[in-house]
Amino acid sequence: MKLLRAGRWITAVGFVLLAGVYLRALAFTPVERSQGLAQKIFYLHVPAAIWAETAMVLVGLASVFYLFLKDPRLDRFAEASAEVGTVFAAIVLTTGPIWGKPIWGTWWSWDARLTFTLFLFLLYAGYLLLRGAVADPGARRRYAAVLGICGMCLVPFIHFSVYLFRTLHPMPIVLKPSAPSLPGSMLATWLFSLSVFTLLYVAFVMQRYALGLLREPPAEGGGLHA
Amino acid sequence: MSDTLRHAWIIARKDLLVEFRSRTAILSVAVFTVLVLLVFNFGRDPTAVAAVDLAPSILWVTFTFAAMLTLNRAFQLELENQALEGLLLAPVGRSSLYLGKLLANLIFVAVVEAVGLPLFALFFNVSLLPVLAPLAGIIALATVGFVAVGTLFSAMTARTRFAELLLPVLLLPFMIPPLIWAVLATAALLAGRPLSETGGGLRLLGAYDIVFVTLAFFLFPATVDE
Amino acid sequence: MPDAVPQNAGFMVAAYITTAVILVAYAVTLYRRTLKP
Repeated sequence: MKLLRAGRWITAVGFVLLAGVYLRALAFTPVERSQGLAQKIFYLHVPAAIWAETAMVLVGLASVFYLFLKDPRLDRFAEASAEVGTVFAAIVLTTGPIWGKPIWGTWWSWDARLTFTLFLFLLYAGYLLLRGAVADPGARRRYAAVLGICGMCLVPFIHFSVYLFRTLHPMPIVLKPSAPSLPGSMLATWLFSLSVFTLLYVAFVMQRYALGLLREPPAEGGGLHA
Repeated sequence: MSDTLRHAWIIARKDLLVEFRSRTAILSVAVFTVLVLLVFNFGRDPTAVAAVDLAPSILWVTFTFAAMLTLNRAFQLELENQALEGLLLAPVGRSSLYLGKLLANLIFVAVVEAVGLPLFALFFNVSLLPVLAPLAGIIALATVGFVAVGTLFSAMTARTRFAELLLPVLLLPFMIPPLIWAVLATAALLAGRPLSETGGGLRLLGAYDIVFVTLAFFLFPATVDE
Repeated sequence: MPDAVPQNAGFMVAAYITTAVILVAYAVTLYRRTLKP
């Protein structure tokens, strides 16, 4: 099917460009003085975090529209975005501690952003588990939409509670992990990385959406949805 | 509007009557609460930390798990007797059903908390009487948050295969922000610090309640409709 | 300000490899799941 082929091609392009990001970040971007080479993890960690959170918001929005419009395409998109969001959250949760160890001295410090991403990961996991546990497709779409909307509404409250918790329990910070403004070359690398992560998100969602279509019994609704 | 409330009360009353006649679920959760308090007592090193430092955490972890267990049974009754279809056919609005269930669950959890709170004060030698009124307020606010979301989710998980496992997995991320605010406020209360020090946690708790009761109220029909 | 730049290249390498592994592994599972049975 066309969506799947397109998704695969874009994925391939995405990986080639990712190699370009790696090359640029590792060999052609200046080293940050106070953090050393470990700072370069930032070029992967932050774009992944942006998409982990954005994917959740998109799941929520698709869920809202699904409950009003009842269009299965919205549900399929939500399902795809949730799975891809989980992958990006996993990247944040692995690169985060790897970055934290040399910078803060500990693997895990309940830093607000990492804790928030852990919440996101758990919300994604719950969403995917719920989808897997409901047999009837109609109920599955409705329940997933309900959970997706609740998850999206929870996000601001997680920010407020986790950041509040954090400010009342200050962690020993040896070095500040992110500079307030990036010099030009670093900013360019970061933007390049962000666009490649965006491309990969789109490509993965296309493929996962196609998978959702393939899995549906052919008699449903007839016609071509893509 | 008054019809909705009247029907809600009828539904709540039914649940309460059924439950208080057999009393099995409530008693089990009450016993569970006592056991959790015991686990906390024996699970800590008595020489390391004073009970008063841990007290807010112990209280709220206990209440979180007790609320969870109570909510597990929320739709169990209807499922066992296939009474849910009957309820849905009755000339009772979906919103009445949610409000009725919410009210019944709130009362159940309140009963369990009313049992657990004095025992907590007894076991951990915490003097609650001077702060009983504000503490009751905090407990009420957090409980509403727990139960509003829990009632909605239990309607969805009740019909899945691993309902008892799935409900905690879905619900706990939603219980953690209220938990954080409640613990901060309780700690301030018990230490004699002014509540204003908790950085707006109580206001956030109130906002959380308003948002999620409203959200659950509007989303509930999607969990029971065809 | 430290005098010398910290020597933590190992962490950078670990993070870059981990990210690549996760992305490639996911792409592979997507590919295999979408192959017609």
